[in-house]
Amino acid sequence: MEKAIIALAAAIAIAVPAVATAWAQSRIGSAAAGALAEKPELSGTAIIMVAIPETIVLLGFLVAYFIIG
Amino acid sequence: MIKEMAKVQIIGPRSVLDDCVAALHALCAVHIEETPAVSLATDAGEFSLKIPVDKEKEKEKARLGAETAFVKELIALLPQSARPRTVVVERGDIHGLVEKAGAVKNEVTALSRRILELKDSLSIIEKYEKLLRAFAPVVPRLGGFKNFDITGLTIEKKRSDAIKLLEAETARITGGTYRMFVIELDEATAGVVLAYQSKFSSKIREMLSGKPISEMALPAEYGGMPLLKALAEMERKKAQLPVLIREDTARLNALSNEWLSTFAGLLRAMEDAIDEFGVLESVAGARFSFAITGYVPLEFSGALRERLFERFGGKVVVRELEVKEEERDLIPVLIYNPAFLRPFEVFLSAVPLPKYGSVDPTPYIAIFFPAFFGLIVGDVGYGAVIFILSLWLRRHFKENEVCYNITKVLTVSSLSAIVFGFFFGEFFGDLGARILPVVFHPLFFHRAESLKTFLILTAGIGAGHVVLGLIVGGVNLLHRGRRREAGAKATHIAVLLAFFICLAAIAGYLPRSFFTPALLAIIAGSACLVLLEGVLGPLESIKALGSILSYVRLMAVGAASVVMATAANRMSGKAGSLVVGILMAGAVHIINIMLSLLSPSIQSMRLQYVEFFGKFYEGGGRRYKPFKKR
Repeated sequence: MEKAIIALAAAIAIAVPAVATAWAQSRIGSAAAGALAEKPELSGTAIIMVAIPETIVLLGFLVAYFIIG
Repeated sequence: MIKEMAKVQIIGPRSVLDDCVAALHALCAVHIEETPAVSLATDAGEFSLKIPVDKEKEKEKARLGAETAFVKELIALLPQSARPRTVVVERGDIHGLVEKAGAVKNEVTALSRRILELKDSLSIIEKYEKLLRAFAPVVPRLGGFKNFDITGLTIEKKRSDAIKLLEAETARITGGTYRMFVIELDEATAGVVLAYQSKFSSKIREMLSGKPISEMALPAEYGGMPLLKALAEMERKKAQLPVLIREDTARLNALSNEWLSTFAGLLRAMEDAIDEFGVLESVAGARFSFAITGYVPLEFSGALRERLFERFGGKVVVRELEVKEEERDLIPVLIYNPAFLRPFEVFLSAVPLPKYGSVDPTPYIAIFFPAFFGLIVGDVGYGAVIFILSLWLRRHFKENEVCYNITKVLTVSSLSAIVFGFFFGEFFGDLGARILPVVFHPLFFHRAESLKTFLILTAGIGAGHVVLGLIVGGVNLLHRGRRREAGAKATHIAVLLAFFICLAAIAGYLPRSFFTPALLAIIAGSACLVLLEGVLGPLESIKALGSILSYVRLMAVGAASVVMATAANRMSGKAGSLVVGILMAGAVHIINIMLSLLSPSIQSMRLQYVEFFGKFYEGGGRRYKPFKKR
């Protein structure tokens, strides 16, 4: 039972930030697509902007790792 | 690196102004600035004028502008089949060539229009191709009839009863003196040709009106012709038009081969001349003298002085001006790196140009981008595939400078992936370890099995990289005399180091007694940061810690890559057939390689831009644009 709870906790620790990251990236991505239609030279900045929220899921991954480990 | 610039003023007599502008144009080194009225007013009174541009020169400039548009139109009309050679046109030859361009343009326009018309005619005939082909056998048989009218009709096949009715009615009207041919045009339509004596024309047409059959509509230009004549004419033109189009196209190509390079050179010469007129508007001076202000790379200022002395024998002098503090941000930025670093300058295209006096991050990117890419991919096989791919891409992107530089970066990064692959003992995942364990075995650790070690390694790399960013920023600020900000950077480093000591003491890597002094150092450092940067100062240190954790992505994406490669190999073992297994594994490896091209590049780029650049990079510089020939 305890193992199951630990596994569930780890799953939640990574799942919630993953959903949060996906949501943030979807908002940034659609805004970036709009900006790129107007100014294609912003492609580099757009990539960076889309990649920024990934840190959230990485932190979630770390928490999950420490919960299991 | 960002080249040091010198602000210079070129002074000489008005009589040599045009020659001096031309000489500066040929030297391609001076970034010319508009001479501001304020600074002139503070100079000697004599020097406080803007030289009015000659009326004649204004006219010449306007004329050149119009002629440039004309030559551009002509170049657009000429076929661009071959890459134009570089033809240098002297300024004195411009007007002669523009006159010639007028004659060539008339011919080119006429030829282009004729080709267009011929193509239009051909495309109209091609639309009637089906009709021509279907009626071809009938036409000779009808040709011999005298005083006969011929009508072409189309009838839907599903109304086949209409053909019988048509024949019966025609026979009734003409008393049997008619010929009728039915030809299949396509799956749904039949063509009918009726030949009858001319005296029955009106009755036949009366009969046809209001019936579910329609007379064949011929193109407008054949509208007045009888059907037979129109078809014969279309057949003749169909054979003739392609020959005429070929002849005209050949003439157009010949004109392009003869003139395109010359007119491209002419356009450059005209634009150069317009640029020289433009510079005259930035020149300041007095009745008998002129002054041109601008920036040159410091190492070139001596050469500039010598060249102008050689050319004008001391009549024109170059004096170096002191740059005021408020002007520092306006100094144009020239980034110049050794050839092996230059491809990495491509990363700067995504961010604003660095400010003059700040740090050019290119050398750091050249080290860390390939290193991070290699750390994530970390596979000899994948690295080799990416290496070959980058060489292949390099051959295809020779013309496109940005893409060519990206392929060079990819080549270096793939070599880094191969080196890390040896360290991690990976060749297409665990395939190498299974086939050739002597060569492919982890020298450091196995990435998928030693996640903790990999995690600590990447966090350590992150700490080093972020601290390096702070050091680079601090040293640069110190050089620029911004001691307070440099002190804040040093304090951030101290707070971070104290935090690491705290962590090491908690984890047992350092004696427990280190904890309290380190904690006190963090508190003291934070207080210093409040003093140096305000209440938000300590937040920067916390952000730096977040940045360090962000480097864990190197481990996460790297481990995902190796797990996927290993999964591909295991899938092949469970396929049941060797061929199917190899195909399955190959497909998954290809997908993984494609992901390995994209994901490590983006992650590595992001670490440079967001975590590393954030510690020292100052954008907002003005690009150095020397006055040079096109």
